[in-house]
Amino acid sequence: MSTALLDATGLSVRFGGVRALDGLDLHVGEGEVIGLIGPNGSGKTTFFNTLTGFVFPADGRVTFAGEDITALPAREVAKRGIARTFQRLRLLLELSVFDNLMLGQHLSLDHGVWANIVARGGLRRSLEKQRETARALLRYFSDSLPDRLSEPAGSLTMIDRRRVEVCRALIRDPKLLLLDEPSAGMTPDETRELMQDLQSVKAERPALAVVLIEHDMEVIESVSHRCVVLDYGRKLCEGSYSEVSQDPAVRRAYLGVEDE
Amino acid sequence: MDLALLAQHALNGAMLGVIYALVAVGFTLFFGVLDVIKFSHGDVVMLGAFTGLATSIGLSSAFGSVPPWIAVIVITLTAVAAMALVGALMAKFLVLPLHKAPTLNVLLITLMAGTVIRESVRLFYPQGSNPKPFPRLLPDGAVNLGRLTLRFDSAILLAIGVIAIVGVHLLITRTRLGLAIRAVAQDPETASAMGIPFQATVLATFALGSGLAALAGVVNGLYYSEVNFSMGLLLGAIGFSAAVIGGLGNVYGAILGGFIFAALQTIGAVALPIASAYKDVFAFGAVIALMAWKPAGLLAERSAERV
Amino acid sequence: MRTPSILPALFATVATAAAVVLLLLADQEWEVATMAGVAVAVLLGGMRLGWGETVHRSATAHRRIVTPVTWLAGAVAIFLLREHNFELLMLCTVMIFMIAGLGLTVQFGYAGVVNFAAAAFMGIGAYTTAVLMNSTALPHPVVILLSGLVSAVIGSVLLLPLLRTRGHYAALITIAFGILFRTFLEVNDALGGPQGLKVPGLELFGHAFNDAIEINDDVEWSFYLNYAAGALVVLFLAYELVRRIERSWMGLALDAVRLDETAASAFGLNGAAWKITAFSIGNFLAGVAGSLYATITAFIAPASFTFSDSLILVSIVILGGLGNPLGLLPAALVVVVLPEKLQVIQEYRFLLFAILVIAILLLRPGGLIPRRAREYPE
Repeated sequence: MSTALLDATGLSVRFGGVRALDGLDLHVGEGEVIGLIGPNGSGKTTFFNTLTGFVFPADGRVTFAGEDITALPAREVAKRGIARTFQRLRLLLELSVFDNLMLGQHLSLDHGVWANIVARGGLRRSLEKQRETARALLRYFSDSLPDRLSEPAGSLTMIDRRRVEVCRALIRDPKLLLLDEPSAGMTPDETRELMQDLQSVKAERPALAVVLIEHDMEVIESVSHRCVVLDYGRKLCEGSYSEVSQDPAVRRAYLGVEDE
Repeated sequence: MDLALLAQHALNGAMLGVIYALVAVGFTLFFGVLDVIKFSHGDVVMLGAFTGLATSIGLSSAFGSVPPWIAVIVITLTAVAAMALVGALMAKFLVLPLHKAPTLNVLLITLMAGTVIRESVRLFYPQGSNPKPFPRLLPDGAVNLGRLTLRFDSAILLAIGVIAIVGVHLLITRTRLGLAIRAVAQDPETASAMGIPFQATVLATFALGSGLAALAGVVNGLYYSEVNFSMGLLLGAIGFSAAVIGGLGNVYGAILGGFIFAALQTIGAVALPIASAYKDVFAFGAVIALMAWKPAGLLAERSAERV
Repeated sequence: MRTPSILPALFATVATAAAVVLLLLADQEWEVATMAGVAVAVLLGGMRLGWGETVHRSATAHRRIVTPVTWLAGAVAIFLLREHNFELLMLCTVMIFMIAGLGLTVQFGYAGVVNFAAAAFMGIGAYTTAVLMNSTALPHPVVILLSGLVSAVIGSVLLLPLLRTRGHYAALITIAFGILFRTFLEVNDALGGPQGLKVPGLELFGHAFNDAIEINDDVEWSFYLNYAAGALVVLFLAYELVRRIERSWMGLALDAVRLDETAASAFGLNGAAWKITAFSIGNFLAGVAGSLYATITAFIAPASFTFSDSLILVSIVILGGLGNPLGLLPAALVVVVLPEKLQVIQEYRFLLFAILVIAILLLRPGGLIPRRAREYPE
């Protein structure tokens, strides 16, 4: 097992009487890509929300790069280097593609009064640099997107929005990237394309760890080093794709439906 | 303080509480079905009172002297029906079109609609900018129970208010309309999937809430024997505060909130030796503090942010 | 692409300044009505023909020239009115409402923080100015700054409930605050009660603003010229401040708070801190506007800072185009000057503005001049 980056132990979350997570353990090593699968309502998104400080567990602990982040709110978690996408896209549709990417860059920007209001030379230089960064990142995913920086995100097609959202999460070079069902609403071809692009980004960032929630088993098979199957907020099983897909409990609970 | 005086204050407080509860129920119903606050609600209360006043003037000029109890019934029914219509129209043409727009727009449009109502009454009702005497239609007498004086009119108004509140309770729990309102409040999408017409339910809810507002306006007019064009602002703010105290969306919370606010005001007026202008300062100050402490009200469950 | 010509921008600027002067000088109701009609026609026709776009492109391409020309045109407009007391006073009122409107732009337009007590915050600034001028010898520019600061600090009392609630609840809090503020003024004898306070005239480096300017024996310029010039300077500073906020990383952060605070927090944005910033900046500007208002009118009373006045300020911001400081000028002209000039509508003005805002919200939610995408400095 590689160096521990993220360690979740015994995570439990309750909404009213429902157990959304029930004693979940997950270990993510540096540079690892993990596929997180499980039927709807099995707690995948809740798990992401717990890691990123949107939901607080009733029980259990999360450590990230050796630090206990269980009780940290979302903005503090972001500072530690965890970035995420949302299952229902949450781009700021009225704002430009560039502005959306710069939200991802928020923690690296100078928000001081001096630079922004009084002497704006620094702001100009920073803008120039950030536009370059944004274009370079978008170029991994599309040839046309780098030229559309100033267009409102709301004018993009679904797949381009997805790409921008992924770039927004990537732009600050996080240590851990959480992708919440990036293929939702896309065709299988588009999904495959997005995954290939992601892999070329990943190839240049060997230390970047990724946890991917995905329903498409082919995607899981092609990109993930390891699979974790959730059911009723619990870990049903864990292992390589072939191990997991052979597991009788998994086939009963989940894959049986998907294989057909 | 002796017991009789205390009872007297309690009685007055209960009277206020009924009025506030009637207003608050409207706020909470609108919030339940549409997640909006209709800031014009207080002005609908005022318009209801003025409709009642105009009706009574119309009645006496058309038929000479009318038996007071008939007048009360006609006035009340006219005001309630007219405001129910106004409420439904506002929902249809102002609130529903902005349903998907930012919260701010809905808030503004209802605030402005309230201004339109207020200003229209001020400008177009004859001498609308002055306070108007409201006819005393209820019997004048009183019974003395020891040193406690129970005015007949108060007793009747209290009864009307309580009957209305019980009526709302029955309507919400026992009728098809009540079921539809509860379903839409619970989850509009599922409700429409199950064949409950969304728009019709919303309109009916606004009609119901606004009708109750008219009733509150008439009761208020009969109780104080005076109405004025700007009374809606304060009554609206109080009604909203009452709904918030109880937790928005909860009908019983709103009724409870109405009585709690009346109690706060009565305590402010009685227990604190200060000018009566401060009783509202006290009550509103308490509400602001309450919202800082429990932002979603006393009875509301804490809802998690949807991520 | 060819650089657009500078002419459309210059023409729009000069035409606007000329229209303002003509509107203020018009003394026949039919003249005012005609001008209002022409303005509406220009607006509607311009929308069809894309004039706004042409002017915008021209202004953007030549910003270094057009911006100073615009402010110069404002100064010239004021100078042209130098002998007209009442008209200058009206222009001052327009500028004061614009300064307060800039504050609301930061609050409503950028951060999405509601404030239905803008008039109350103006009142705090006005009363602070009255008290400081009457009882201390502080230099008057310092008094104006302090008035803004006091307004921002008192506003922070509302921050705790405001940060913990959202949307409609927050609106109620500010409405309640507005009602409380007025009640407080009316019962407070130290602040003059319902009768209010007198405010002395401004003084700057020994120059008394309340003295008329004598050019020679025959010609005397209105003392309001002093105030109009002063208000223009403050308006310029406030406008630059708000524009620069919008066109910087700060503006982006504020927009993110308004549009999706939850998503923004996933990228490390501290929503509460940005809301506090926006609320304080807005109340500061409202306080400064109130301070100017106090010195210009020389007299303040609780009745000038009511809930209806707060609604008027919000109407200006919505009417002009939420989040676009440029829209404040036409909106403030409509709200301040039109009722003065058209006595017919004076009495009905609250009603008319309310109907106007409802119409705008239903038909053209972007306002007269809708906000444009952020333009960072080049």
